[in-house]
Amino acid sequence: MRDELKTALDKVTADNALKESTRAFLTRQTHDYGAAKARPRAARRLAAAFACLALMVTGGTGYWVYFSPTCAVSIDINPSVELAVNRFDKVISVDGIGEDGDALAESLDVRFLSYADALDRLLQNPTVENYLAQDEVLSIAVAGDDQGQTDAILAQSETCTADTQNVYCHAASAEEIEQAHEAGLSFGKYQAFLELQSLDPSVAPEDVQGLTMREIRDRIAALSGDPESVPGGHGYGAGNGNGQGNGMGQGAGTGQGTGHGAGNGSGQGNGMGYGAGNGNGGGKGQKSAQ
Amino acid sequence: MRSEQEANRAIERYADTVRRICMIHLKNHADTEDIFQNVFLKYVLSTAVFENEEHEKAWFIRVTINACRDLLKSFFRSRTVSLDTLLDQPAELTQEDHTVLEAVLALPPKYRDVVYLHYYEGYTAPQIGQILKKNVNTIYTLLNRAKQALKETLGGEYDA
Repeated sequence: MRDELKTALDKVTADNALKESTRAFLTRQTHDYGAAKARPRAARRLAAAFACLALMVTGGTGYWVYFSPTCAVSIDINPSVELAVNRFDKVISVDGIGEDGDALAESLDVRFLSYADALDRLLQNPTVENYLAQDEVLSIAVAGDDQGQTDAILAQSETCTADTQNVYCHAASAEEIEQAHEAGLSFGKYQAFLELQSLDPSVAPEDVQGLTMREIRDRIAALSGDPESVPGGHGYGAGNGNGQGNGMGQGAGTGQGTGHGAGNGSGQGNGMGYGAGNGNGGGKGQKSAQ
Repeated sequence: MRSEQEANRAIERYADTVRRICMIHLKNHADTEDIFQNVFLKYVLSTAVFENEEHEKAWFIRVTINACRDLLKSFFRSRTVSLDTLLDQPAELTQEDHTVLEAVLALPPKYRDVVYLHYYEGYTAPQIGQILKKNVNTIYTLLNRAKQALKETLGGEYDA
């Protein structure tokens, strides 16, 4: 039975026509095995997901790399602005501190410029020029974790402002900047405040908030008794004022030589503390005399 | 989905097996062609991983038997297979071959599968049970009855 069946069934075979028609059918049904040659669907979907993820990560990282500040440049006259600089030396944001700071920040169109261009523009800004013309003090503080970049920006700031009087450039650390912000001051002002506080421990950050850099410098100069510390270094008139025994209206100071007389008059009301203002006035007088 | 090479290899290797199963179940060439297309398309689209050739062959046998049953069920066909099908076959079939095949085709379909798997493919009852997803004892019973029926048809000379 086994053998007979085997012999008979062995002769039953699939003919070539049947095989061919089956092959043709498979090719048709599978679109020439097109999908088989391509990657399997699951893998394709996974690849797409990975591509999306990679794009998001790259984009996200790129955004993060570009838009995370590595360096802060704090610029103070009376209005204070801070430039955030990224690792590519581009200014990514301009923040004003205080109302007039905001106004100045808004008038500055320096976003995405290099910090050197931004500083140039800032110094040419009418508001800033105006302040400088009034003999105000401009303070530029550079802070960042990247020492190389900080030094470069500081050097650049010094170059930019080399021909401008009354400009101070200094370096700072990120920590100090944070402390400055906590005190509600821009960094340049905060440093001046610290200097003032070391001379007069009773000074609080609020006291200097409304003062211009020039006023703070003047107070430091008066407290330290070192006229040279006054920017511009013209303190000689102050000598006169002091001689008079505290008679010191500021108005008098400005009024040149004749100012002395007037100084006496107002001196009584004001007292010693304002002696500094006096000195300043004197300076101006002398300056104009020259 | 499998490649064209895999499909061609499978066709070369299993076309005869599929054809034989079709022969014992179906009665015309068009149905056989249907089953061929059906079975090999299933293979191309299947993601089943075969441990070895035996495993793959068993897969083909099971899929073909099921496809034949489905076809017969769905078309509500007559369960008998006419001799016309056999006459499609190559002329080398002798009279004796015809007699044997006709005797097998005369059996009820469930006997045909076990006869084919046991006598032709050489599977044991437990293996047939696995392929057909049936109890081993059922297979033994089917085999015995099939043997009995064939003996009656073909006479003592074909005693297995």
